[in-house]
Amino acid sequence: MTPFFQNKINRIWCLTVVGLLLLNVWNIVSNTPMVLDQHWAQKIFYVHVPSAWVGFLSYFVVMIAGLMFFIKGDEKWDDVGLAAAGIGTMFIALVLITGPIWATPIWGKPWIWEPRLTTTLILFLIYIGYFMMRTFGGHIERIRRYAAALGIIAFVDVPIIFVSVQFWAPEIQSHPQVEMAQQPIGILIPFLLSLSIFTVLYTLMMRYRIHVIRISNSGVENV
Amino acid sequence: MFFILLKKELYNEFRSRELILSMLVFGLSIILAYAFTSNVSRVILTNYAPGMFWAMILFVTVLGVHRSFSYEKEMDAFSMLITAPIDRGLIYLSKWISGFIFLTVMELIICIPFFKFLLIDFPLNPLMAVGTALLINLAIMAVANLVSGIAMRARLSEVLLPVLMFPLVSPVVIAATKISNGIMAGDPYQLWQIWLLIIASIIVIFGLVGYTLFDFITEE
Repeated sequence: MTPFFQNKINRIWCLTVVGLLLLNVWNIVSNTPMVLDQHWAQKIFYVHVPSAWVGFLSYFVVMIAGLMFFIKGDEKWDDVGLAAAGIGTMFIALVLITGPIWATPIWGKPWIWEPRLTTTLILFLIYIGYFMMRTFGGHIERIRRYAAALGIIAFVDVPIIFVSVQFWAPEIQSHPQVEMAQQPIGILIPFLLSLSIFTVLYTLMMRYRIHVIRISNSGVENV
Repeated sequence: MFFILLKKELYNEFRSRELILSMLVFGLSIILAYAFTSNVSRVILTNYAPGMFWAMILFVTVLGVHRSFSYEKEMDAFSMLITAPIDRGLIYLSKWISGFIFLTVMELIICIPFFKFLLIDFPLNPLMAVGTALLINLAIMAVANLVSGIAMRARLSEVLLPVLMFPLVSPVVIAATKISNGIMAGDPYQLWQIWLLIIASIIVIFGLVGYTLFDFITEE
């Protein structure tokens, strides 16, 4: 298998993503308007919400990969599932870090049991278990099946967790994500741009992770 | 075939003295820990009692489910079971229902010291409490059996089982606590019916997912 960056398309793709990320940071810092009651804290939402989007998209991919693994029985789908699970967990961890950073000055405390945050935390814990199982679980053939099943179960559980937490703490419903679509155009366009750039970054990360997983499966060390 | 499997599971569980004993003693130890760590007024304790009760049941369930599946590992009985010409979904269903019956019996025994030792009054409407507890047990076992099916034959299954099960079962715990709180406070059914709907949807969804996936999970 050829090293990832020897492929011209991958190099161009990577440079494009780096360029887009720099453009995104510059755009967020320089061009987005200040929100009166939030000032700089609001700008974290251009990273927080796209991270959540990529995280949940990844977990959706894990579920699809799990289903395909069971239907087709092809190990390639396990590689896709594993890559998506890793990237998803990284982005969900980012959500859990950026959320409290925003919440501390705005809500006055780093954490409240808000439905979206709580659902994200529970999902994060499920995936920590997923990686523990993949790392310590033993027999690889079995672990692939268990991981596929767990990916499906975790995604099926998400709406139930969300609804439960929503009714559990009905007084805590305030979350700026809901209002994002009703924001003025000066905020909405950079937000959508950031969302798109994070999605492009996700496609590159997926491609790279799958490449690395396949190389490590084949026992070759040169990545 | 389902009833033969169910009979086998129930026979295994109720015959195993160490399983019954370990669950009961573990439950009593938790009650003891609660008594020592919550030396507060009766009113405050009554408010927290439903959550404490379902947390205890969750710990006891982990112990029971793990032990129950461990029997199948001994002498590789589970491999023999899945090579039998039967629908593997039925194995899940039989384990689910037998686990539910076993948990309910354990719960009936353990609830007496829970209320007596912690000096909490029994619910005003015991029929309602038992009826909802049956549904909650069904939901807990639907999730627990599916997770056990996954964790059982993995290495470090005793660690993986609670790590995987607790986050997945969290909606059941929230709903169970809310329902029991409502019943203990004598709230009208309309105030907590939504939680029963959540429990019912967990039973249906995890029942179907478990029945479908068990075939793939247990494939050799």
